[in-house]
Amino acid sequence: MTRLTRREFLRTSGTGAGLGLLAAAGVAGCAPAIKGDFAPKAGRRVVVIGGGWGGATAAKYVRLADPSIEVVLLEPNQQFVSCPFSNLVLSGVRSIDSLTFGYGGLRSHDVKVYHAAASAIEPDTRRVRVGEGYLEYDRLIVSPGVEFQWEQVDGLAEAQDRVLHAWKAGRQTVQLARQLEAMPDGGVFVLTVPPVAYRCPPGPYERACQVAWYLKTRKPKSKLVVLDANQNVVSKAALFRAAWKDYPNLEYRASNKVVKVDPSTREVTTDFGDRVKYDVVNLIPPQRAGTIAVQADLVGADKRWCEVDHVTYESVKHKNVHVVGDSTIGLPVPKSGNIANAMGKICAVAVVHLLNGKEVPSMAPGNTCYSWVNDREAIAVVNAYKIEGGKVVQIEQKLTPSQSAEWAQHADGWARSIWQDILA
Amino acid sequence: MRTTIRLVAGSLSLGVVLVAGVAAAGPLDGPGAAKALACSACHGPGGQSPSNTMPIIAGIAPWYFKKAIEDYAGGRRPSPEMEPYAKYVIQAGVDDLAAYFTGQARQPTAMRPDAAAIERGRAASKQCAICHGESGRGDAAKGSPDLRGQPPGYLRHQMLLFKADRRNPADETLKALKALMKTVPDDQIGDLAAYYSSLR
Repeated sequence: MTRLTRREFLRTSGTGAGLGLLAAAGVAGCAPAIKGDFAPKAGRRVVVIGGGWGGATAAKYVRLADPSIEVVLLEPNQQFVSCPFSNLVLSGVRSIDSLTFGYGGLRSHDVKVYHAAASAIEPDTRRVRVGEGYLEYDRLIVSPGVEFQWEQVDGLAEAQDRVLHAWKAGRQTVQLARQLEAMPDGGVFVLTVPPVAYRCPPGPYERACQVAWYLKTRKPKSKLVVLDANQNVVSKAALFRAAWKDYPNLEYRASNKVVKVDPSTREVTTDFGDRVKYDVVNLIPPQRAGTIAVQADLVGADKRWCEVDHVTYESVKHKNVHVVGDSTIGLPVPKSGNIANAMGKICAVAVVHLLNGKEVPSMAPGNTCYSWVNDREAIAVVNAYKIEGGKVVQIEQKLTPSQSAEWAQHADGWARSIWQDILA
Repeated sequence: MRTTIRLVAGSLSLGVVLVAGVAAAGPLDGPGAAKALACSACHGPGGQSPSNTMPIIAGIAPWYFKKAIEDYAGGRRPSPEMEPYAKYVIQAGVDDLAAYFTGQARQPTAMRPDAAAIERGRAASKQCAICHGESGRGDAAKGSPDLRGQPPGYLRHQMLLFKADRRNPADETLKALKALMKTVPDDQIGDLAAYYSSLR
């Protein structure tokens, strides 16, 4: 058992000597630059791009499965902030620091964590470019998460921080909580839901619950308008609609795709031409796989998502490159944190078996997904899968019969366990 | 709470300290190890649950693991979370998974209940010992599991489910236990949970 102290955390988080420092400096875009083969490969090596739910898990589990394999993790952020539970920051039920973790646990498994962004993948030479330098790999695991399709909403790219997505937990989550807190009572909060597929299908509706709960308890004259690009609530529909009976301040409009935002007039426009005024807007943009996956030609004909083998998570487009997490498509699974964690573990075991010339075991992921509907009650959906004919097939999906504090307690237990599974 | 957010936003947040428990997981060999990876998201690496609500399944008796899985999968022990996963376990091979978790060294929960609650629980535990033994280690012949060192939140919740007849509702063999649980006040259930979680 190890417990990281503040001092150890600082020592291991990019302020140390050598490459960690170089890499950390590289993030900020200033000298000294990384040049050439900045960490020559001695033995077998797995490079992981992205230290989120999928990538951090994969990095750790490659080390657990075979400690003779070197693992390098490239992650620009110094800290891991959990997207699951971050909607509770908006309602003030949880603080952002209760969802924020360091990468020291991975370092204790001898994962080499560089706080730098991969800029390109060269599958032919098995190299990842980082700034002006590069890293060699035997197998690469790419877990880049999602990127926003800013161009899909007129005015969104120009609006920058005046229109928040808060869909990658961190600074924007806190900013949106502040905007909500500062909104005058009687104000209108507009939340927009992108068309599928997007990260965390029930996430926007959980967010609607948290915002509506906050408004109901703190700003009772205020209103929440949810503009959903989809025809119905995408996930846990009956449970969310039951929860919303407690929120007469919540107005839900299905099939209302937002195509334009204008922060100067505080107005969004739907594809029907309807204009909706807001005091605070939370615009969750349409999404695709993270940029590195698009640049590296890992995405399919849709130019959005990455198709993979269902057992090894190897890209169908490039050998020795595996993709896990929200950027994948084709498996009958949601883009959830639990699924990314499961993919990370399965992919890690597959990669180790492949590097050792052994047959890869066929393992299916599982999905456990809780959503908080107020400050103390939650609902859940659980999916079990199997591998059939080399493909992931769902065995069963179960929903909680209703909302209750019991599921919320389970949600807390799940979070505590899975954060440790990913990072400790 | 809102103040907390403001403070955090303005400073470097060092975040939450995670305690590593993975050493117990061991190398990923044996047929059950890879199949058990689906379980660690909730039950912790190697089945060593770090939370108050999820049970520790490291070191579980194989007969009890199998009974739990079969009861969940068959809907006899209602759980929207475990019913799908139990079906996964059966699909993957319940014996492999039972062997894997049985082979993991169990560490008692890190939860530390109040000492006074533990003592009150000890005093109230006489009737439980008939099936679970003086030590709380359980008895396979009586179908009673080992309660020692489980998270108190999990033990309390299960006792409340028995009391409300929500755990294995139609199981005749549990009738006497449920009748007994109905006589135990809720606060004493918390004490009993504290006591059994403290046993080693």
